[in-house]
Amino acid sequence: MTGRTMYPFNAIVGQDEMKLALILNIINPGIAGVLIRGEKGTAKSTAVRALADILPLIDVVKGCPYQMSRAGDPGVCRDCYNTGCAEEIFDGNGVDVVRRKVRVVELPVSATEDRVVGTMDIEHALSKGEKRFEPGILAAAHRGILYVDEINLLDDHVVDVLLDAAAMGVNTVEREGVSFSHPARFTLVGTMNPEEGELRPQLLDRFGLCVSIEGSRNHAERVEVMERRIAFEDDPEAFCLKWKEKSARTAERIESAIKLYPEVNIEREKLFSIATRCMEAGVDGHRGDIITLKTAKTLAAWHGRVHVTDEDIEVAAGLALPHRMRRQPFEEIGKGRRERGYAG
Amino acid sequence: MELHNNRILTEDYLYPFSAIMGQEDMKLALILNAVEPRIGGVLIRGEKGTAKSTAVRALRRLLPEIKVVRGCPCLCAPDNPLHACPRCAEKIRAGKCIESAYMKVPLVTLPLNATEEMVTGSLDMEFAMRKGQRRFQPGLLAGVNRGILYIDEVNLLDDHLVDIILDVASSGVNIVEREGLSYLHPSRFILVGTMNPEEGPLRPQLLDRFGLCVEVGGEGDLGSRVRLMEMRESYDNNPMEFAARYLDEDNVIAERIRRAGERLKGVVFPQRLLGLVSEICLQNNVAGHRADMAVKYAARALAAYEGRSAVTAGDINRVAGMAILHRRRDALPPSGRDDPDRRDDSGDRDDQKERGRNGSVDSNDMRNQPHESGEERGGEGDGMEEDYQEGLPDPESHSEEDEPSGVTEQVFEPGRTSRVQSITQEKDRLVRRGSGRRTRTRTTQKAGRYVKSIHSDKYPDIAVDATIRAAAPHQRRRKKESGMAISIRRDDIRRKIREKRIGNFLVFMVDASGSMGAKARMIATKGAILSLLLDAYQKRDRVAMVTFRQRKAVVNLQPTASVELAVRQLGEMPVGGRTPLSAGLLKGYELLRVHLRKDPSSRPIAIIVTDGRANVSMDTRLSPSEEAIRMAAEMSGEKRVKYVVIDTEEKSVVRFGLAARLAAALGAEHFSFNNLVAGDIVSIVRRNI
Repeated sequence: MTGRTMYPFNAIVGQDEMKLALILNIINPGIAGVLIRGEKGTAKSTAVRALADILPLIDVVKGCPYQMSRAGDPGVCRDCYNTGCAEEIFDGNGVDVVRRKVRVVELPVSATEDRVVGTMDIEHALSKGEKRFEPGILAAAHRGILYVDEINLLDDHVVDVLLDAAAMGVNTVEREGVSFSHPARFTLVGTMNPEEGELRPQLLDRFGLCVSIEGSRNHAERVEVMERRIAFEDDPEAFCLKWKEKSARTAERIESAIKLYPEVNIEREKLFSIATRCMEAGVDGHRGDIITLKTAKTLAAWHGRVHVTDEDIEVAAGLALPHRMRRQPFEEIGKGRRERGYAG
Repeated sequence: MELHNNRILTEDYLYPFSAIMGQEDMKLALILNAVEPRIGGVLIRGEKGTAKSTAVRALRRLLPEIKVVRGCPCLCAPDNPLHACPRCAEKIRAGKCIESAYMKVPLVTLPLNATEEMVTGSLDMEFAMRKGQRRFQPGLLAGVNRGILYIDEVNLLDDHLVDIILDVASSGVNIVEREGLSYLHPSRFILVGTMNPEEGPLRPQLLDRFGLCVEVGGEGDLGSRVRLMEMRESYDNNPMEFAARYLDEDNVIAERIRRAGERLKGVVFPQRLLGLVSEICLQNNVAGHRADMAVKYAARALAAYEGRSAVTAGDINRVAGMAILHRRRDALPPSGRDDPDRRDDSGDRDDQKERGRNGSVDSNDMRNQPHESGEERGGEGDGMEEDYQEGLPDPESHSEEDEPSGVTEQVFEPGRTSRVQSITQEKDRLVRRGSGRRTRTRTTQKAGRYVKSIHSDKYPDIAVDATIRAAAPHQRRRKKESGMAISIRRDDIRRKIREKRIGNFLVFMVDASGSMGAKARMIATKGAILSLLLDAYQKRDRVAMVTFRQRKAVVNLQPTASVELAVRQLGEMPVGGRTPLSAGLLKGYELLRVHLRKDPSSRPIAIIVTDGRANVSMDTRLSPSEEAIRMAAEMSGEKRVKYVVIDTEEKSVVRFGLAARLAAALGAEHFSFNNLVAGDIVSIVRRNI
């Protein structure tokens, strides 16, 4: 996601719900992702790609294909065919750790299962007699953001693999003579245009949050969108420079929210209010409750508070529940949400 | 960032078993299986987010230890030559001193994307390369011997893997005949699976392999929900500390399991209670005898777990539900055993019984199926009906009908369905991706049966055996790399052609106008569509349904693999109004085009059910029927789609032959309404594909 100049995140006009959902996920990956539903041309993809602008930094072992924060994990490093760092550690030498931004890894809709889970380079094995495992997208996305554009068009197989990995937090490879697993915990960000068909309920449930967006109906806003877009296309670098300060401020705010999050607390009766909401909404299972709670706490941290307010819960429920409510088969996601009072 | 640090799921970090709230049935079923493997595993069914997978993974910590032959990949028992692998059996019989070791009962996860070779085991490539000899590399099925095979989302498992697992589960032996290898080793395991019924049901044969089945759901009680959130937060904040806090409680359960395992042999099953078991099974109309056995073993395990030395009626009542739940006939999903090409594990006595009752599937069976969340929907279709009430049907379209024309619309139950014959498309040389069970095709996915090897870059999968054979004649001339027994060049590389079945995409375009309203006709039509849907469901096809009535065509069902949805839609489909045939064709064609754009090599099937009496056009300058014919002519240009027109016009009345004209324009096969018996439609489709 580097090289090209990205449209700055803050320069996106409107779409506040989407931006908030993305930011909350960066602060707390435990929220488990966001699904962005919306018509064409509503800056869905732009927003996700622009995230690179404001992502925080993490520690990663230099050159580690599995994005480990420290080397020496018995499960992964022992079987790692890719770097020599395991030997370094077992020889008692340290490995270099570098600090880099959290990554946005894109999963193309056409991706094959092999590309996603990783594959054994048999050709290499046959000619050289040694195993070489090519890690896939899931390895690259560990501790990062896995972005799937048009996720509803994704191959069923790949969806299964994603579900498997998302559920376990581990990618297990059992193919071509390789038995190997590595951690694959990622924030799943998907965009879809509902006109192209719905997502499978199971996959839908894996997304912590869901936002529906549409083009602005506001005249002035639409003009603003055009103006900024043209300015960006004319001179991307100058445009980004103009927004640089704002991006830096957002990134800072995210960093401080990440630090604050562990201190956020919530009163017990507020938990009851979350549980009541979820039961009234008729969500399946408990993921709705848990995600609402996490989202509310993250919101508090984002606003620099250590106490969760009723408003936080209100907003969190609006993001976490619409896609979990039991619907009639073809009722649209998010429909009935306003009536039920979960307006963000 | 608590979730994004390094840990792979080691036991220290797993959510502890004893910290799982509620779900008593699930926990008990897992514990009983740990005590007594002969129960045969457990299937956990339930909605999303109910700690299904969490529980199974947490089970690992509770499992007892077993004694194994040191170094044996099949984890053979040192004192049991009967179920040992050939090498160990020989050693044991010869009375050789065998080194043994203790290990926890293995819990092996079968990832959904595992390749066949990795499951069964295959040629050890590294060994072949370095030593130039054949050696068997054991697969998952070896490592899971005497342990637990855990399949998350078991209903999503590819069919060819299901076949292998069924085969091995029933025989207890894994026989490998591939890549020039012939090998046999024991593989006795219990199956633990989780599934979400929304994703489609499980094949009955596989279902029956699970000793017990439990349903899990969310907690209904506010207090528990809050408690659960608190626990989860506390776990997420510091998993290791949380897990440590529950370590003692987990250890208590583990110790109880261990003791129960020792006590098990001494637990008496009173003769008089055997009658109770069979009575319960009979009353619930279960298929086969596996339920009886599961109840018996589970009741004994329960007694042992609770420290008693005899089974009580209470034990039986506690576990009977779990053994029966998935075997009750009315609870069985429509079975998918009509496919003659499918491998069957012969000698399975339950098979014949089930096959016997499989002659016809009443439509009511389908509706009684436990479809989660379906029951609660209650006011389903409320909004839809309002929609449909606007605009009365055109009296003209009703003229010669025997139904009173004043009726706006009616909803008919689908008629009876009949057994469906196998519909497959012809095999071609095109390579496709996908899953399902209808059409045999070559595939570039690394799944499916390895049929032959070729020298081509089109297939990604390298065939080690063929490659080595290709390299063999040149070995004398080639200089070998150090440490290698064989030298292989790029030219030698052969690739596997694999074959697997995939589903097709079926688009139903159904005329629901007033002229279709004759009761008997609509019932029969719905019955026929239902039969096709049932077949589609078993073959893992994707289906979509377009209905057209009054002024517009509606996509009732977006392309989906959920045939349950289609069936429900069909049941609720109201009839009445005018016939916008061209609009219906257009909507259906749009769906087909979208599908073909996504998957250009696919071969969708379009089934158009109409009497052809169009009386609404989209463009007012054209007459409705002319517009429909033009539309059809254009659609016929898409040769990848197979069209079938089911003519619902009645023979006795004056015939217009409009549907026949439509069929001709489409280049479709045309069948009259009188042939519209489910079996006929299906065989018709079959003959013409």
